[in-house]
Amino acid sequence: MDLVLQLLFTGIGIGAVYALVALGFVLIFRATNVVNFAQGEFSMVAAYLMVVCVELGLPYWLSFVIALAGMALLGVIFNLGVYYPLRHRTYLPVIIATIGASILLSNSVLAIYGPQPQVLQGWFDTPGIQLGPVYLDSQYLLIIGVTILLVLFNFWFFEKTLLGKKLQATSQDKEMASLLGISVSTMIMITFIYSAVLGGLAGILVAPVLFVSIQMGSTIALKAFAATIIGGFGDVAGAIVGGLALGVIETFGAAYISVPYKDGFAFLVLIAFLVFRPQGIFGERVAEKA
Amino acid sequence: MPLLEIRNLVVRYGEIEALRGVTIAVEQGQVVTLLGANGAGKSTTLRAISGLAKPASGDILFDGQSIAGLGPEAIVRLGISHVPEGRRVFPGLTVKENIMLGASNRKVSASQISREADAMFDLFPDIRAFSNALGWTLSGGQLQMVAVARGLMAKPRLLLLDEPSLGLAPVIVQAVFRIISQIRKDTTVLLVEQNARMGLSVADHGFVLETGRIVLGGKPDELWGNEAIAAAYLGGHAKTHG
Repeated sequence: MDLVLQLLFTGIGIGAVYALVALGFVLIFRATNVVNFAQGEFSMVAAYLMVVCVELGLPYWLSFVIALAGMALLGVIFNLGVYYPLRHRTYLPVIIATIGASILLSNSVLAIYGPQPQVLQGWFDTPGIQLGPVYLDSQYLLIIGVTILLVLFNFWFFEKTLLGKKLQATSQDKEMASLLGISVSTMIMITFIYSAVLGGLAGILVAPVLFVSIQMGSTIALKAFAATIIGGFGDVAGAIVGGLALGVIETFGAAYISVPYKDGFAFLVLIAFLVFRPQGIFGERVAEKA
Repeated sequence: MPLLEIRNLVVRYGEIEALRGVTIAVEQGQVVTLLGANGAGKSTTLRAISGLAKPASGDILFDGQSIAGLGPEAIVRLGISHVPEGRRVFPGLTVKENIMLGASNRKVSASQISREADAMFDLFPDIRAFSNALGWTLSGGQLQMVAVARGLMAKPRLLLLDEPSLGLAPVIVQAVFRIISQIRKDTTVLLVEQNARMGLSVADHGFVLETGRIVLGGKPDELWGNEAIAAAYLGGHAKTHG
């Protein structure tokens, strides 16, 4: 039982990271109808920005702020350079452009930093606390706490604010939104900035748990992508539930079945969903896309 | 000076010339109805006015100022609100949210918009009970009410209505047209209709479009009076309504 609780804690912690990246996938998909294959690279770039700032001797919180500001800027550049020029084309050129951007980002970091994985210390000096039978790692606590706050923020932002409603309207019918005087290009810009910051946040939070490497983006993105499919593609709640479920499943799989096949469990679940319930846990709310 | 003046408007979709020199004028306070068969260019005319279709040549003057080539976001800020074909109510937002977003062309606070949206239900009592229902759950008539209410939230000086009667049961069509005759007290309306009888019943002036050209214009009784023309352009049953 103690082990189960321990694994559940770790699984939710890692699942929260997948959930944040999956949320970024879903938001961009809903706004632009395109899967952003560079979403994982947002996490990787943010983790490297963090490493650079910490190595320069900046305080951890300041590095955190700078890295997130850098991600917001990357969101702007990404929108203007990758999506905006192709916005009137079909989804295919845009998807290819995001794959291109993903290759460009990872190779740029490789050229600057080299292939050696980097280590980022955690936010807290205390490694963790013992709570009864469960050891709560401080970094995982941080990840879970930040994710809860972000999910609450996300709900408030999209459901309770007029700007959130404008973003939803834009993702449902761009032409109609423009007829009402909603600036569609501004709404899409906001979506890219928000998604880049979410992806960046996931990268920064998970970096002390994993190594900071060129590949970390694609690993996280693959899991997050699986999470969005498991949750129901295009569904915000689905992305979060899917991410958490995936984190828990792979942690339990690794503990009880096989460690080397840890990544395999995620994709086994994905395949099972694709075969038996392709619309995901929540199903795609078809009506919202009508 | 007319509120809206369209001069020799030409719009092309690729090789196809959808409008081939349309000239119409809408005076302040009027309801003007644009009639014509499917594909005659009625919707294209409205899309050109609201900025969704770019004119190839010709000019569109609103209040004496050229708006040809401006984007839809800029045009709605000038006070032209377009309720497009198919209603286009946001399916994943509630009725109230849809209506509130109609004020996106104005700089007013969210609480003020919320109050105005509530007041809008006085004009559309049939949808008040559905205030919190999502768009996709509504019937065609309810969607039309929401679309018009949303269009009015822009506080337009000119309201463009595209086929408000399309696909609705006769009793609902009558409700929609009752609302149009209420709206006209404050707002100039350019109405596109296939249903000639209903369209002209509320109009001060009518134009008939055929394959991208205006072939006829005049007061409703003049249009009905010309039996040959009425039969050809306004539907075979024109005589019985004339």
